[in-house]
Amino acid sequence: MSSKWQGEQALTLKAAQLAAERPPKPKKDRFLLWMMVFGGLFFIFSVYQLKLNLFVVFEGALTFLQLLTEMFPPSFAQWKHVLPAALESLQVAIIGTAVAILLAFPTSFLAAENLTPHSSISYAIKAFASLLRAIPTLVWALVFIVAVGMGPLPGTLAISVHAYGMLVKMFAQSIEEMDEGVLEAMRATGAGWLQIILQGVLPTVFSAFLAWSIYRLEIDIGESTILGVVGAGGIGWELVHAMRMYRFDEAFFVALVIFAMVYSVEMLSNRMKLRMKNR
Amino acid sequence: MSLDQAKQMRQRKKQMNLLLAFMLVAVTVWSGWETNFSFYTVFLGLGEIYRFILYDFLPPDLSALRVLISPALDTIYMSYVGMVVGSLLSCLLAFLAAGTTSPYPAVQAVVRGLASVLRNIPALIWSIVLVSAFGIGPLVGTLALILTAIGTLTRAYAEVLEEIDMGQIEALKATGAGYFQVIGQGVMPQFFPGFVAWSLYKLELNVRASAIVGMVGGGGLGFMIQKGLKLFQFKEVCMAIILVILIVFGTEWITSKIRERIL
Repeated sequence: MSSKWQGEQALTLKAAQLAAERPPKPKKDRFLLWMMVFGGLFFIFSVYQLKLNLFVVFEGALTFLQLLTEMFPPSFAQWKHVLPAALESLQVAIIGTAVAILLAFPTSFLAAENLTPHSSISYAIKAFASLLRAIPTLVWALVFIVAVGMGPLPGTLAISVHAYGMLVKMFAQSIEEMDEGVLEAMRATGAGWLQIILQGVLPTVFSAFLAWSIYRLEIDIGESTILGVVGAGGIGWELVHAMRMYRFDEAFFVALVIFAMVYSVEMLSNRMKLRMKNR
Repeated sequence: MSLDQAKQMRQRKKQMNLLLAFMLVAVTVWSGWETNFSFYTVFLGLGEIYRFILYDFLPPDLSALRVLISPALDTIYMSYVGMVVGSLLSCLLAFLAAGTTSPYPAVQAVVRGLASVLRNIPALIWSIVLVSAFGIGPLVGTLALILTAIGTLTRAYAEVLEEIDMGQIEALKATGAGYFQVIGQGVMPQFFPGFVAWSLYKLELNVRASAIVGMVGGGGLGFMIQKGLKLFQFKEVCMAIILVILIVFGTEWITSKIRERIL
């Protein structure tokens, strides 16, 4: 037994020697160590600042469990309101994404560095797009509600604005990834700006544009389910309404519908990704 | 003969694409019709939107910073705590959810199902449900972010684990390495880059989401935005939105720096 232990000790010693002989990469490791220490300290600080209290969490969890029992079984009584609202969410997502695509398509050619008429235009569009993107969809919805009133319109606008911010960036990126040689060759033939785009760029980037648009639609269907919470149309409102009336079983049904919407989109996109991979 | 076939196939593909395009347009038009969306209304509303943003919103009320700084910090703390707690719990769950490391297929299915439920219900919806149990405050927002983090990260980590090169593990086992040695020397080095990348990505998502969860009582900047709009304090709201933008950009800058250094 002791000899085995000694053998193991010898092995660890040997391993330590080997480790010492390894070419050093201290810079990365030290950075990592500092990151970990800082991350840990910041975590403790954050928990302290938020005044998170395990006892309160525990107490709340008990209340939540009690709430869950009230949620079962889900009540389908309000399906006549809930299902059309779900459909409205879907429609808001579709039309919002479509508008964003329509707007992003022409501007992305101006934003791509290899096609833009002037680099300052490209820079301006990209900065504007990242500004639109940085403000969450729901905040946009709140702003538009004040401007144009409640209903699906502010929701649609909010989705369009946020989706535009992302799509311009992604479209422009796909254009910038193009082979510079193709553009060069077309310029050499004396093709104008529009001709280069129609004949050289569009056929190359079309599938990338399509993929990004579908990806954005996925995100927007998720976003559109929560827009109703602030009154911008769709199913979110039904949930707030049910919770306010303490109809937890109806709220559970709404949550189920929301889950079904987002989940089916995830499934569809997974299958599409798989098909694209296999192609 | 074969040329003919190829021609036919190409034509059929063209027809399919046309049909698909037509269906897309039809669905879009139908959506626009049902929601009463018209470019004309938007065009008419543009003036109002423009006026509202230019005169009611701008310039931001800088004096509101004093009130807003603590909710802004809360937003940062919430997203960070949500990411850290979520990623720690996800690490444990991912081992159960990955096909390569899961002890039983049944456990794997249950954990994956749980993650899917947590992931596919938006953080805001979680907040609405949690508020009635935990009361108003940053705790609700943090919990909602933790739940969605578990949903996203468990799946992501599990996928990283499944893509691990088993040859290296096999080789380590052949040298007589114990369980923890295999984990430490074989699994971790392969798992780590994916772990960091996904965690940072979730932090970015959390920062965006944490501005939102406040609107239903989750604390942070979202609560201030909602309150300000209800009280018509638009210039204060504008300041809050600027803080949201700054936090989002700041986080993206930091995470990109970390990515550069580590990955």
